[in-house]
Amino acid sequence: MAYVSMGEAHRRITDFLGRFSDSIASQDGAALRSLLAVSSNSSLLLSLADALNIFQDWARLVKQADRNSQQLGEILVPHLRCIQSFRIGRFVEAYVAFEKSANAFLQEFRNWETAWAVEAVYMVAHEIRVLAELADKELSSMGKNPEKLQGAGSFLMKVFGSLAGKGPKRVGALYVTCQLFKVYFKLGTVHLCRSVIRSIETAKIFDFEEFPSSDKATYMYYTGRLEVYNENFVAADQKLTYALMHCNSRYEANLRMILKYLIPVKLSIGILPKMTLLEKYNLIEYTNVVKALKSGDLRLLRRALQEHEDQFLRTGVYLVLEKLELQVYQRLVKKIHMIQKQKDPSKAHQIKLDLIVKALKWLQVDMDVDEVECIMAILIYKNLMKGYFAHKSKVVVLSKQDPFPKLKGKPVSS
Amino acid sequence: MLSTANQGSQPMAAVDPNSMEERSRDDVSQGHAPVIAGHYSWPASAAPVTVSWNYGVNSGPLENATTSSSVHNYDPLRDSTASEGAQVTMNSLPQTSASSNLAATNGSQAYAGYAQHSSSTYAYGYGNMQYQSSYYGHPHQASYTSYQQAGTSQNSGASYQPHSSFQNTSSYATPTSYSGTYFASDHQTTAGYPTSGYFDQNNYWNDGSGGGYPLQYANYPSSGSAVAGIAPTTTYPVQSANAGSLYASNQPPPPGTTSWRGDLGLSTLPSPQARNDVASRFPHGGWDEKAFTVQNYHINQIPSDLQKASDSKLSLYENHDGSEKITCSYDPNSSLQVFSTGQVSQNPQQPLQTVSTMDACRVSKMQIPTNPRIASSLTVGMPKVDKETSTANASAKPAYISVQVPKLSNQLSSSDDADAVIKGAFPPSVRAYVERCFSRCKDDAQRTSNKLILSEIIAKAKDDGTLWTKNWDMEPLFPLPNSNSSGADQNILQSTVPSMPKFSSRRSKSRWEPVAEERLDLKDAPVNNDSTKNVSWAERMAGSQMLNTMDDGRNSMKYPLQSLLSKTPQRPLKKSRFSDTLDITENGNSSSDSDKEQELTKHYSSAITLENSPEERKRREHRSKRFEKGQEKQADVKQFKPKGAGVASIYLRRANALMLAKNSDDQCREVEDIYWDALTVKGTCQDVEKRYLRLTSAPDPATVRPEEVLERALHMVQTCQKNYLYKCDQLKSIRQDLTVQRIQNELTVKVYETHGRLALEAGDLPEFNQCQSQLKRLYADGIKGCQMEFSAYNLLCVILHSNNKRDLLSSMNSLSIEAKQDEAVKHALAVHSAVSSGNYVLFFRLYRAASSLITSLMDLHVEKMRFEAMKCISKSYRPTVPVSYIANVLGFSASAQTGVDDENGANGLEECEEWLKAHGAVLVAENNAELQVDTKASSSTLYMPEPEDAVAHGDANLAVDDFLARTS
Repeated sequence: MAYVSMGEAHRRITDFLGRFSDSIASQDGAALRSLLAVSSNSSLLLSLADALNIFQDWARLVKQADRNSQQLGEILVPHLRCIQSFRIGRFVEAYVAFEKSANAFLQEFRNWETAWAVEAVYMVAHEIRVLAELADKELSSMGKNPEKLQGAGSFLMKVFGSLAGKGPKRVGALYVTCQLFKVYFKLGTVHLCRSVIRSIETAKIFDFEEFPSSDKATYMYYTGRLEVYNENFVAADQKLTYALMHCNSRYEANLRMILKYLIPVKLSIGILPKMTLLEKYNLIEYTNVVKALKSGDLRLLRRALQEHEDQFLRTGVYLVLEKLELQVYQRLVKKIHMIQKQKDPSKAHQIKLDLIVKALKWLQVDMDVDEVECIMAILIYKNLMKGYFAHKSKVVVLSKQDPFPKLKGKPVSS
Repeated sequence: MLSTANQGSQPMAAVDPNSMEERSRDDVSQGHAPVIAGHYSWPASAAPVTVSWNYGVNSGPLENATTSSSVHNYDPLRDSTASEGAQVTMNSLPQTSASSNLAATNGSQAYAGYAQHSSSTYAYGYGNMQYQSSYYGHPHQASYTSYQQAGTSQNSGASYQPHSSFQNTSSYATPTSYSGTYFASDHQTTAGYPTSGYFDQNNYWNDGSGGGYPLQYANYPSSGSAVAGIAPTTTYPVQSANAGSLYASNQPPPPGTTSWRGDLGLSTLPSPQARNDVASRFPHGGWDEKAFTVQNYHINQIPSDLQKASDSKLSLYENHDGSEKITCSYDPNSSLQVFSTGQVSQNPQQPLQTVSTMDACRVSKMQIPTNPRIASSLTVGMPKVDKETSTANASAKPAYISVQVPKLSNQLSSSDDADAVIKGAFPPSVRAYVERCFSRCKDDAQRTSNKLILSEIIAKAKDDGTLWTKNWDMEPLFPLPNSNSSGADQNILQSTVPSMPKFSSRRSKSRWEPVAEERLDLKDAPVNNDSTKNVSWAERMAGSQMLNTMDDGRNSMKYPLQSLLSKTPQRPLKKSRFSDTLDITENGNSSSDSDKEQELTKHYSSAITLENSPEERKRREHRSKRFEKGQEKQADVKQFKPKGAGVASIYLRRANALMLAKNSDDQCREVEDIYWDALTVKGTCQDVEKRYLRLTSAPDPATVRPEEVLERALHMVQTCQKNYLYKCDQLKSIRQDLTVQRIQNELTVKVYETHGRLALEAGDLPEFNQCQSQLKRLYADGIKGCQMEFSAYNLLCVILHSNNKRDLLSSMNSLSIEAKQDEAVKHALAVHSAVSSGNYVLFFRLYRAASSLITSLMDLHVEKMRFEAMKCISKSYRPTVPVSYIANVLGFSASAQTGVDDENGANGLEECEEWLKAHGAVLVAENNAELQVDTKASSSTLYMPEPEDAVAHGDANLAVDDFLARTS
């Protein structure tokens, strides 16, 4: 820490206080926003933090400033304390202080009629989440119960409440919703999203399209993920596609995140991505899955799933990918059918079960006749194959018309 | 205290008010008689009486409210009593170890003595807490700091440290200013007071920005999770101002403390055998002490309006408690306060001899009656504060924990002292006490009132037979009446005396009732009542709160406060109860208004006429007899002290821990710092067999089995031939014993595993889930067991019985690599893929291969799987499928491939046929050949039949016949 003289420290602090009250007096949301960005490591705040560490009696300065201007001490004292703690890496303290400050700020914000400070509220919502995550990391490293993120969630709910009504502030509701989603997904309490979603989607006073498009994309991303959990692939496809289309193409990381979910969803409704797409966004974990789907290579699919099992389980697409197995079987039978057709077109629609068992064995998938028979029955049952199975002769009899119907954007019927 | 406890345990809400009324009447009548006596001997003696009466008058209007309110509150409290009562008690109990430390650090003997005292009695716990808080609050900063340190050493230290020493000191240091401001505003509504004081309080705990007034509140919480804590805090300033000086100069606090200890300690420390006696004891101790304290309060009231307000608070406090705890706490406080304030005692000392024994006796009677009234009047004020205090509680609580001290040694010494004293007509200690009392009188009026009060006290002591046993050095000085007000009071008194009874009785109800009840019930009261006492006490407090709300004028303050309080987030239900009780304190503050008193006096005079009726007299006599009985019992109790100590200490420890827990709860922090060890019971029961009974109070070590016995019990369950119901019951009781003793080791895991398996076997999923979740925690703590087996069960449960993909994902994600190598887990994962792809062949193969327990888990999914498979088969197979194939594939035959041949296969075939028919499949038999399913026809006729064992509530497990059939 560079040496800072007492006077310099004093100057910096009063400068900050002046900026803060000026930004509120002039209703400059952007300026206020930058003053609240604790975790941004902006040079202004860093130097301020140093000054605070030097000039220990800064609370007095706040009080003085308070006397001259509006009553901002409730916000500023904990805020400065937060900046100070953040600088020295005490994130739990920083979080606690920030929450206090944010509560006071929210109190003020409720009284402001116009939405000029919405941007600042965004920053508060963002900061409290980031700080809570840091604080939780610190807590769990100390062996304590990480609970700050949960606290941040309930604070964000308060913020949401202050925004979600009628009036100009409503425009900010979606941003806070997205922060809430982040918190809930991280905490694994996604069921809490439902109430927020409901209030966003049922409110008629405000058209969804009027929200900022970045918020809309984020919102669609998270709701799409929720649909993936529910295995509601059509809706998931729609939402994630919306998110992808509205996501700023400069943010490749965001695009990648969306694709991570969109690709499995698309796969499960029978739409395969180009390999170039996977390469471009570094989604190689899906390459083998796609290859397996194309070639009907069951072994490859299983291997791919096993290889990336942890990752798929973490992102929650494992179960979706697992279900692709039936499509791989379909592809396999289709291939056999095609080969058989080349050999003997007249008997092409009758496939002996033994043949399929042999093919699977060749793929090192060890399944006996009964099991394969069962798979064939399921394929027919789920409409991945048209035809019937003759038990007596152990033959799959395929329909002569379109024996392997494509999914065409519809999920496998269950 | 005991009385409260007994009542709390008794079911009747309505009873309380009634009994209370009787009590009050009795009291009144008794009080009356002594007054007369007083007149004979000393003309001046009227003064004290007046005081008490005034109080009664004030509280008169409140009567109705109190009764009703108490009734209301009762029910909810009762319910909670069982579970929470224990907790409350526990809170009150300080940690012994910590307390001892504190005492040492403080260095002031008085303090130490008190601490000890408190620790011995449950009730005392409250007292101690109060005491401590008050003590610390006092100017002695040094002592305060030491206190803090003690707190830190304890687990909970962190939470209370925040309320800094500064705050306390400031408030106490300027007691006069405080009282002045507070009381100066005749009505509580005065803007200045409420805004600064109350609002600050809320913030105070968080910010540490409290004014002098708020500090007091802060003290409350510390003293008391127990309600008792509240009242004392408020009173402090007053006492110190008036009576304080005397105490300081004359009384050595330590000796006094010891005497208290003796009484209290005896009552509290019962050994299992002695419990009954002890229970009876409790009330007694409470009575004696109360009388004294009450008088003190009265006196206080007299002096000035300000004082009155304060007094009212105090008396309220007492009433509610109706228990020794309060008094004890008070005494120490007053003495302490004296020190701090350092007021000059002007009064000349009067010799003891002036008091004749006869007079004394009468006087003593008087005192008792007065107490109730005072108490009732006090109750009026308090509602506002409560919530705030509750908030404060969390942080403050730790304080008392630290304070608690071991009691036994002191108690014994006190009894010894008492024996020694017996030589003279009046023990020297009594003389010293009287001297002390008189030394603080400033003028004649005070002196006369002082005399009267003293004579009452002594007479009463004589009456009770405690004259010689009581440690007079420890006896708290009663507050001095103000000379001006006392004069006025006297006039009122004289006019009112004849008619007194009614109002006073009403007021007194809340307080006295419990006491009377106690006496009667004490013998039977089980030890467990201790825990309940506190609760009932809290209830009463709540009742008083109601009263407060009724007075609109006074309480205008309270509403804003309450709303504020209600906003405070995250308070659990239990706490809300506390907050109610705390409210009383608030009311007490507000109630002191002069307007009200006048109103009350009017009421009072009208009611007075009732007093002298023969009925009243009878009641009085009856009552005095009761007192005698109580005393005898006390004596008995003393003998049992030593034995009881052990038990008591257990309770104490537990109480402390609970209190801590509560504190931390309140604050939503430091939960992990709770000193759970203190809650742990060490069982002594040697029975291998024990029925499960849900605990409704703190566990009794005598009915809890230690680990070795539990091990045998587990073995017994594992090897016995009885049905699941019996085993489940036994296992639950084992689990309970393990839990209350906090045994978490291989045995615990074994018990849960055993129970989990048995539950699976019996298809008792809810019970299994309980075990499963416990096991998850235990495994996570690194305790060895059959973790793989149970994670397989867990997986299967998620796969088969909950349709939650996220659960499944997370439990799959949490599997370790070696878990994935485990056969059982592999099996479970295979089941998952079979289910998710609908692969019925694989599913039933796994079903057959599974161990019996997993089979029973999968059993619950078999029907669904079969039906789904049949739908699939009937759609995809043409034209027919042999039934034998279906029976084989869908797991109807026990042996896999060869099923048709052997007997099992035949059975399976039949079973399959039945099943198919039941589900609407169309069966055909061509040419005498095998039975076939006509798939095309079946595809439209398949249906899922209503399960035969379906029940209206949807859970077939609850059908008794079925359950019995499965489990026997």
